[in-house]
Amino acid sequence: MTAYLIAMAIVALIYMLLTIGLNLQYGYTGLANFGHVGSFAIGAYITALITTNGGFAYVSLPASVLGAALVAWPVALLSKRLRTDYFAIATLAASETLRLAIIEEDWITNGVHGITSIPNMSVALGLDVDPNILILTLLIAANLLAVALITRMVKSPFGRTIEAIRDDEDAVRALGKEPATFKVKVFVIGAGLAGLAGAFYAHYFSYISPEQFLPLITFYVWMAMILGGTGSILGAVAGSLVLVLFLEGSRFVRDILPGVTEVEMASVRLFVVGMALVLLTLLRPQGLMGDFRKR
Amino acid sequence: MVGTPFTRRSVLLSAGATAIAGTLGLPSIAWSQSDRFIVGALNPVSGAGSPYGPAMQASIVMAADEINAAGGAAGRMIEVIGEDTQSAPDAAVTAAKKLIEVNKVDAILGTWSSGVSLAVMPLALAAGIPQAVTSGAPQISELDDKDLIWRFNASNVLFGTAFAKAAAAFGFERPATMAFNNASGIGNSEGFTEAWTADGGEVVAEVVYEPNRASYRSELQRVMSANPDVIVAGSYLPDTTILLREWYQLGGTNKWIIPGWAFGPQLVEALGPDVLEGVIVVDSISNESAASYDHYAKMFAENAGPNLTRSVYSTIAYDMMITFGLAIEAAGPGASIAEINAKIREVASPGGTEVFTFAEGKEALKNGDINYQGASSRLDFDEFGDAKPDFAAAVIRNGELVRSEVITL
Amino acid sequence: MDFALFANLAFNGLIEGAVIALPAVALTLVFGVMGFPNASTGDVMTAGAYAAQTGQIAMAGSIVAGVIVGSVASALLALVFYLCVFRFFQGRPSMYALVASIGLAFATRSTLTFFLGYDQRVFPIPLTRAFSFGPLRIVPSDLYILATSVGAIVLVFLLLYVTPLGRRMRAVADNPDLARSCGISSHRVLSAMWLIAGAVTGLGGILFGIKTVITPLMGWEALLPAFAAMILGGIGNPAGAIAGALTIGIAQELSTPFVGFTYKIGVGFAIMVLALVLRPSGLFNLSARVR
Repeated sequence: MTAYLIAMAIVALIYMLLTIGLNLQYGYTGLANFGHVGSFAIGAYITALITTNGGFAYVSLPASVLGAALVAWPVALLSKRLRTDYFAIATLAASETLRLAIIEEDWITNGVHGITSIPNMSVALGLDVDPNILILTLLIAANLLAVALITRMVKSPFGRTIEAIRDDEDAVRALGKEPATFKVKVFVIGAGLAGLAGAFYAHYFSYISPEQFLPLITFYVWMAMILGGTGSILGAVAGSLVLVLFLEGSRFVRDILPGVTEVEMASVRLFVVGMALVLLTLLRPQGLMGDFRKR
Repeated sequence: MVGTPFTRRSVLLSAGATAIAGTLGLPSIAWSQSDRFIVGALNPVSGAGSPYGPAMQASIVMAADEINAAGGAAGRMIEVIGEDTQSAPDAAVTAAKKLIEVNKVDAILGTWSSGVSLAVMPLALAAGIPQAVTSGAPQISELDDKDLIWRFNASNVLFGTAFAKAAAAFGFERPATMAFNNASGIGNSEGFTEAWTADGGEVVAEVVYEPNRASYRSELQRVMSANPDVIVAGSYLPDTTILLREWYQLGGTNKWIIPGWAFGPQLVEALGPDVLEGVIVVDSISNESAASYDHYAKMFAENAGPNLTRSVYSTIAYDMMITFGLAIEAAGPGASIAEINAKIREVASPGGTEVFTFAEGKEALKNGDINYQGASSRLDFDEFGDAKPDFAAAVIRNGELVRSEVITL
Repeated sequence: MDFALFANLAFNGLIEGAVIALPAVALTLVFGVMGFPNASTGDVMTAGAYAAQTGQIAMAGSIVAGVIVGSVASALLALVFYLCVFRFFQGRPSMYALVASIGLAFATRSTLTFFLGYDQRVFPIPLTRAFSFGPLRIVPSDLYILATSVGAIVLVFLLLYVTPLGRRMRAVADNPDLARSCGISSHRVLSAMWLIAGAVTGLGGILFGIKTVITPLMGWEALLPAFAAMILGGIGNPAGAIAGALTIGIAQELSTPFVGFTYKIGVGFAIMVLALVLRPSGLFNLSARVR
């Protein structure tokens, strides 16, 4: 049971990094990124390619962050021209196009066959410790760092500017600040966090393939953010924990509900996820931790 | 799936007890580990594998009921705990973690699709429990360093070779391939091309198509413009339905070779016998007498609800459970998981008395070795733990499969 | 690389575009008036297809009866979504309505799979063979699909631009407050708009199901191409959505000799993004209609 709880904590912490990144983008700046899974995939593939070819995680972790940030940069430029809803669909399309490229460019990604035998965290760092405990520790550290970074950013003049952009872009422009440069920076930082999440994901799952990077992951992250409350860093933390509790908890519901088959449960699980999204946005749009006055 | 009448009450009640005991961290007092064997049925209930997963899980439960009705295996009752992989590697991994850590399963049966199997394998290997897969990727054999992974279907390489032999047996000279863009579809097509060109043949066109398109006409026209005499498809049921329909509408005259899992009653219902006339279906086959197949088919017809459809994969899932039951029986009371795992190859390999049901096998084991002849294939595992079945090419005549060639590799 | 090849590819793209045009029109109607991309559209398509197939079999195999049952069912479903959920999102950030619509998509699909299972279904329609028309190979059923799609779209246009209801609808879309002060009940107009969008969506699902097979995921998978068509055409512009769908459909198929059958999907997205960058108000919008 302990090992299972550790596993769930690792999954939750990976989602947490993703959610913190998205929260910076949408919650604080109003950038509706529906292609978050793309940055996640880039991080995972960079790590997988480096570490299965003998590289250490000391190289691959920063490379995943930088790579994801770099690829996100041209997409970020689109935010200069597109309004929120257009940008949402453009980013969704960008992440799907990236997935097509991963499938098609098999000379580097091994295509639909995926990359197997990605070394675990201990091997990748050359440390002789339990890989699960190690990745858990690193993930906690990474999340704490991300929270600290964003808290500092939000309290700084930069943070006040991006929140002002979210609330009234024209007003910011009138004050002589160019919203676009701020947006690009925020988008790229959020993508870097997703890239880091992808790197941990690759080490933990040891196998990655294009089918693991569907838009559904993005929707889950949105769900976590909205669960917790947009524009709240604590909300991102709480939201991703509740999300994983939600996705995993349904497995146990079936075990203690006699007469429900797994086949029926698969439908019930999706129904509950769907209704939760509807009811939360309808009845508690500020989320569990969010401050409604801010929106 | 409302009111599915197969018996699962005992299974679920005990599963519930395990979960509660596990959650509370209490030892389960009512059951001691040696009088039951817990199986995790980890199947693609939803997602891309959903045409197959529900019937797979039901078949594992049916096989477990059959074993329990025969008095259990080596005095143990089989418990089945179902989980859904959602046909996705990440969901499959968390489900497998739960099965291993919380339900303390002794084996994982029925992971479908290579992506899922490859993602779950490291967990099974680390936990030291056997995993039975139905996935085609050759890497699965390479990565199994503990002889714990059992592949109950033919690998992509074998299937591709069988396709090539079937094409040769029917006298085709200008084959083309169409592959669904995933590991299995591409694996089968590559296996075919490799085997076909190794014998000096030429493949006139190769097309990989994406799932969920509104039409495959452009893909078909590309292939048909190369003027093949046969199209070898690495496909699944829904896309095969669309491909064959559009091919017929376009007035195609070439033949088709499709894999067994792409054929089923739904295909005949969807297209009618005219379109399917002469389509060649290549599949792994059971022993000629196939008593186990008849047994399974009858049991499925009686127990499965109206919403479940039998497929190659459900037959394989059934065989997995029966094979494991026989291995438990052969290992004897109180055997460890490693000892049971070591018996799997033995109960299904040539040399012993041929048996076709669990009850027959249990009886015959009293007098020496057995060789379970599965419903899906004769299940002789090679050194990698891969079943090496015979194949048969059947031609569809009037909506029915008529076997014409047996292919031995 | 001859003319006949490209002519056939273009024709294939035209049919695919005609199928996607229907959900794209529904998306753009809803987006134009309510201001959010409605992700439940895909699963309403699926529901319409299942309802139509069930209806057809219940009505002794009449496809016309099936189409009516399916369209009515999906129209009612869309209306229920509006009355119970979407109307409460007016005046709130569009992303919340989008997330809620994703939730409704999941809820719709899971309800279908719970009661109907995951097996594929097909419309029992006799198959027809293609005939040659110049270099084109034309399947008669594709012509019916094209005709149905065109007919439905013409009907929507008549409703929007000829009837008093359509005038009121456009008035609400342009300026809800002004419309209200003129005595137009925006609630009734919006209900009518959702009924129309739902029926069009369901019809799209039925055509998609006739052309392929009915599976629980079919509509969800058609959503992204429909989004792309809507954006290319300019939001709130039904004619643009149709033009967008046909452009993407034809461009995708024509690109296949050069980029293959995987990247063709990316070609659709690339056209959309390019159009957005060059003309953020949509390729086919004569005047920017940014709300």
